[in-house]
Amino acid sequence: MDIEKIRKDFPILSRIVRDRPLVYLDNAATTQKPSAVIEAISGLYRNYNANVHRGVYLLAEEATQAYEDSREAVRRFINAGSTEEVVFTRNATEALNLVAYTWADANIRAGDEIIVTIMEHHSNYVPWFRLARRKGAVIKIVPSRKDGELDMDAFGSMLSDRTKLVGIAHMSNVFGTINPVREMVSLAHTRGAAVVVDGAQSAPHMKIDVRGMDCDFFALSGHKMLGPAGIGVLYAKSSYLKSMEPFMSGGEMILRVTLEDVVYNDLPWKFEAGTPNYEGAIGLKAAIEYLEALGMDTVEAYERELTEHALRSMKTVPDIFLYGPSDPAKKGGIIAFNIKGVHSHDIGTILDSEGIAIRAGHHCAQPLMIDCGVSAMARASFYFYNTEQEIDMLVKALKKAKEMFGHVA
Amino acid sequence: MSLEELFKEIIIEHYQHPKNHGHIEHPDARSEGSNPLCGDEIQMELLFEGDRIKDVMFTGNGCSISQSAASLMTEAIKGRTVAEARRLMEEYKNMLQGNDYDAGMLGDLEALSDVKKFPARVKCASLSMAVLDQALQQKK
Repeated sequence: MDIEKIRKDFPILSRIVRDRPLVYLDNAATTQKPSAVIEAISGLYRNYNANVHRGVYLLAEEATQAYEDSREAVRRFINAGSTEEVVFTRNATEALNLVAYTWADANIRAGDEIIVTIMEHHSNYVPWFRLARRKGAVIKIVPSRKDGELDMDAFGSMLSDRTKLVGIAHMSNVFGTINPVREMVSLAHTRGAAVVVDGAQSAPHMKIDVRGMDCDFFALSGHKMLGPAGIGVLYAKSSYLKSMEPFMSGGEMILRVTLEDVVYNDLPWKFEAGTPNYEGAIGLKAAIEYLEALGMDTVEAYERELTEHALRSMKTVPDIFLYGPSDPAKKGGIIAFNIKGVHSHDIGTILDSEGIAIRAGHHCAQPLMIDCGVSAMARASFYFYNTEQEIDMLVKALKKAKEMFGHVA
Repeated sequence: MSLEELFKEIIIEHYQHPKNHGHIEHPDARSEGSNPLCGDEIQMELLFEGDRIKDVMFTGNGCSISQSAASLMTEAIKGRTVAEARRLMEEYKNMLQGNDYDAGMLGDLEALSDVKKFPARVKCASLSMAVLDQALQQKK
């Protein structure tokens, strides 16, 4: 990969912040956008903007085609069997809520069990927590081991015929752990449970094959993979989508409405009420094409090198504690850490003064924070446009932060 | 805008060695608060004698700004009347919002005056004031 050339594709990466070149290491929160994505969006508004699936004029045909082309791009990107199985949503959160309010709401009853992992983002925990409250169902939590990987023995013993649904973060947004979803799906299916995979962190960074994984639902967010904010995807097996009631209702999701009856639209439009975010979908298609041109295997291999370098060099910061797997083969480019005596917010502010953007806080994963016995962590997360030099600048700034707060016993 | 303005020596000193840290055996008022997005937490306990704040203690965890502000705030109000504490909070709020304020009244709390240059951190400095305000409302 020619990183210098790649970086030129991202206008924001040449920005100066706090009198220094921007070092953007908060990619697990959102990613920066290449010119191709920015131009795809402005191209729509300059040339062919019209509401999709409505007009009979040329602009509407072009906009509709571009919107549906994006669905095909997503299908190819995650290796779904059909575009029927690709539903556009606002983000991964909405995709997960769609499952909670439709399939899960209709199929989970009092006494049923829902299994999720301790590594879930609130978006793959709170919808199930609320569902369980509504239904009188029971939530069970797969713990993590000391090495930051899931306790698969515990998962195996939790599964039973009462298990109706299993929710798994494909990649933890805190530990970076890549969880063994394929194995977990196959175990869950032996008990007849449906499996929902939160792919918000994995889809941007590795090859996704929903058919190979055999998951029943898979959620992703466009903005975490070079696309614009406000567009996400729910993949669901068509056998599930066919049996599910619509989530939201209104225009677009219907075939025919009379005062006596409503006939729902075909898949996937049955789940896309109202004017969709076609601007977002068109931007997402440009993002997917950019990633495909690089090659997801190349992206993954390069980010693994960065992570290896980061794990090695961050260890040299005095009193630092790195969370999650220490083996770079087991994780993506996300490193959560704390430095004894320097709170993560203070780290964030000190790094910001050096032009370095990282995240500090609970990362929308408070159960995992509690499990680790902390209320906050700092987190650096990488994308393919980051460099080893940037990680060296991070490490230097972390040492400065530690020095500012002096030695604390 | 420099880091030294934010992380003054006195702030790091109060962060690492907070004053009035702990509990009061039979407090007259107790309150707590947190910044949900960043996880800073402060609990405060007060003991009154007539109109006066006889004693105040706090516990909590969070960043240097939130914890040093609590330490400095408790130092500033201890021994004052409730009315004086309220005036002091008003001046403190003025300082954080970038308005004119009475520096004499704030004393060491003025060390936090540069927090206003770091908008993301103003809520860290405000937390102990919100918690104290709740506690004072419990005064009969």
